[in-house]
Amino acid sequence: MHPDLTLRIAGESGEGVITIGETLCQIAAREGLHIVTFRTFPAEIKGGACMIQVRLSEKNISYHGERVDFLVCLNQEALGENLPDLKDHGVLLCEAECDLPEELLGRTVYKVPFDRIATREIGSRISKNIVVLGTLSHILSLPKRQIEGFITEKFARKGKAVLDHNLDALQRGFDFAERNLGKKDPYKFPKGNEQKMLLMTGNQAIALGATASGMRYFFGYPITPASEIMEWLAVHLPKLGGIVLQTEDEISAICSVAGASWAGGRSMTSTSGPGLSLMSETIGLLSMAEIPAVIVDSQRGGPSTGMPTKTEQSDLFLALYGSHGDATRVVMAPTSVPDCFRVTALAFDLAEKYQLPVIVLVDQALSARLETVEPRLVKRAPLASRLTAKLREDAPFARYQLGESDVSPVALPGTVGGEHMVTGMEHDEKGNFACDEEMHTAMTVKRFRKLSAIEGDPLTHELCSYFGDKEAEIGIISWGSSAGPVEEAVSIAKNLGIPVQAIIPKILNPLPHQELKTFLGKVKRVIVPELNFVGQLASLLRSTYRIPTISLTKVKGVPLEPTEIVKKIVETAETLNVRSMKHYGRAG
Amino acid sequence: MEEQDRSCEYLSGVSPVWCPGCGYYGILSALVEGLADLKLPTNELALISGIGCSSRLPYFVKAYGFHSIHGRGLPIAQGVKTANPELTVLAVGGDGDGLAIGGGHLPHIARNNVDMTYLLFNNAIYGMTKGQFSPTTVLFPTTKTSPFGFLGDAVNPSALAIVYGASFVARGFSVKKEHLKDLIIQGIQHRGFSFIEVLASCSSFNTTDMNVARIIKNLQMVPEDHNPENGIEAMRLATDKEKINLGVFVRSQRPTLGDRFQEVQKKAKGKASAAMEDLLAQFA
Repeated sequence: MHPDLTLRIAGESGEGVITIGETLCQIAAREGLHIVTFRTFPAEIKGGACMIQVRLSEKNISYHGERVDFLVCLNQEALGENLPDLKDHGVLLCEAECDLPEELLGRTVYKVPFDRIATREIGSRISKNIVVLGTLSHILSLPKRQIEGFITEKFARKGKAVLDHNLDALQRGFDFAERNLGKKDPYKFPKGNEQKMLLMTGNQAIALGATASGMRYFFGYPITPASEIMEWLAVHLPKLGGIVLQTEDEISAICSVAGASWAGGRSMTSTSGPGLSLMSETIGLLSMAEIPAVIVDSQRGGPSTGMPTKTEQSDLFLALYGSHGDATRVVMAPTSVPDCFRVTALAFDLAEKYQLPVIVLVDQALSARLETVEPRLVKRAPLASRLTAKLREDAPFARYQLGESDVSPVALPGTVGGEHMVTGMEHDEKGNFACDEEMHTAMTVKRFRKLSAIEGDPLTHELCSYFGDKEAEIGIISWGSSAGPVEEAVSIAKNLGIPVQAIIPKILNPLPHQELKTFLGKVKRVIVPELNFVGQLASLLRSTYRIPTISLTKVKGVPLEPTEIVKKIVETAETLNVRSMKHYGRAG
Repeated sequence: MEEQDRSCEYLSGVSPVWCPGCGYYGILSALVEGLADLKLPTNELALISGIGCSSRLPYFVKAYGFHSIHGRGLPIAQGVKTANPELTVLAVGGDGDGLAIGGGHLPHIARNNVDMTYLLFNNAIYGMTKGQFSPTTVLFPTTKTSPFGFLGDAVNPSALAIVYGASFVARGFSVKKEHLKDLIIQGIQHRGFSFIEVLASCSSFNTTDMNVARIIKNLQMVPEDHNPENGIEAMRLATDKEKINLGVFVRSQRPTLGDRFQEVQKKAKGKASAAMEDLLAQFA
């Protein structure tokens, strides 16, 4: 019995690789298993290598697994590329035509003529992936009836002929395995607790979180890897009376958001780095004019066009500082798919309550990954709203009133007696332009005071994840989707006898000072793993807390691997003489 | 008995910052008189601008005003109208704001047919930055940034609006206040995107291109029998080399962006509105 199984299906784009992975996920989610996936996208529109990795577990997991237990390769190229990631005792299922390298001698390999079965027996090359599913269902003892049900759901609307074709493909794949392959490996599809899980991508969780938080106006411009957010909302938001508009560019998108938000609607846009660069000027306007907005940036390899289909965490500086002048904004970073829902929903509450832009940073890997989510985690209502003014007939409304309160109330356009100006110029309390030195100071302080208030707001409490041993001298601070590999690395290090503790702040501006200061007070070394070259979070931590950091960076377009972090932990442990450490054997 | 002039009620009380002799005073005056004639409640008026001399106008008018950033008045106005269709939305800006830095937005707001009115103040110069050439500078021989003459030819704002598919296109002149007021009223009353080019002289940096005497000498009203649904004729009038035509070039009816949103919602909902729970079902 293997409660934790990592599978990878690799082939060429167009071979239906992703469908195999997603079908396994669907079945597992209905079984109540926890799932985290990772998939690569070819840079080409058609063709190119692609793979999906699926990790299934009975327990809650936060990482897609480093090396795989079970590898499925649909062609020779896929085999060459992916074999190094197969565990020593792992199993290979591959196309019968593939030449096997010598290193596979003595290991469990199943060869199946998928191409021949699909083209000769079924007469349809595109049904190959369903043949693979049939074979897998036999080898891994998958609930075949469920697969049939799933295929019926997927193909029924394409007509009986197509459906029958695919059911036939499933059966033939299954039969081939039954007749020709004796079960030679210990792997089985894990059993779930039958509590049904929801299955969604990070992008879908963002769209859902926004919708649950009352967002009804979405403006955006297509960009990889964020487009899925807009595409999902385009189908579903109008059902709730909302609108989605594809604009002519990202500047128009964020400006339309600014207008819709000023008029009172909860509004958002989503983009990737190039779009966030274009939006920078308007972020300053939102800050200056004190208008709420939520901007999601699904980061990809940069700078410039960079690597659109690869992951990176290199927009932190842009999110924190992009725009001229002292421009206030909140920056948040969810770590998992359920977190994408939670953090995005919270982003709207903070934007509305404090009247400023909130940037939510995710990355390609998190945007595209399928993960199970407990149904209770995606139920939510707005927790805060914009403060509206009580208008008085005897005094004109002052939109930017200076005073005791951290936020000044708004009068939404249309309100009788609330006519006023909002502006990107420095202004007085009534919104009229004012360049005098006192006013600029007072208004800048007003805008920045909101950040201190956010830090103290109970809404932003519990926005840090903690892993590991609370007494450990080695600390890790990381962010976003790197949290998953960090969590795994901490537990691998523990098995090696090296105590480590980690903190993952999900709000990066304002930083959760209390939590971070407490953490920094306990540890002797701070490792900062992140997916960028210069160590952007490490730099922020050094300048904020005047501490030395051990920066662990990676720019390969793929997530950090736990063993890369463990290596740094071991090096750090050596400098500290952590005595409980017995040996430094290869982890995992 | 003549009705009382209520146009003052549409002034905010903030004094305009424009130079003495600036053509924009005439536009402000035509605008507030037009608003008064329409008896528009000031709280239902949203006035959005970009950056430049003309974009200062919202400060001077009693309304919900939004003075934004250079070139972005139109998309902001699109957002405002989308979130609150009850508002009367007006955008104002200059030739640099609307046709240089913000020139990429005009085709899209026009083809979307956002139900709003856009006044493009055309003085053929950058006034706020003190005298650089704009996309509409034609006759003025040199400017501070083209000391040896021009490197590019000028664009014709009304002609652009026509080819972009604006459903209402007109040209007015700041000196012809009554005529301009009438155009503004028609623009606001038109259901869809109304584009009004307003010729106005910059008294400080370019008195040549929009020279009042020259325009008065050359102007001609759009003939009464012009069919505003005839795009070819509209284009001929807008691009007339001999005469400066003033009046309504284009007026046509088609669904607005708001209408299209309603259609989309109807199609998406099918028979019944969905709730959050229904959206979750697809992930099960």
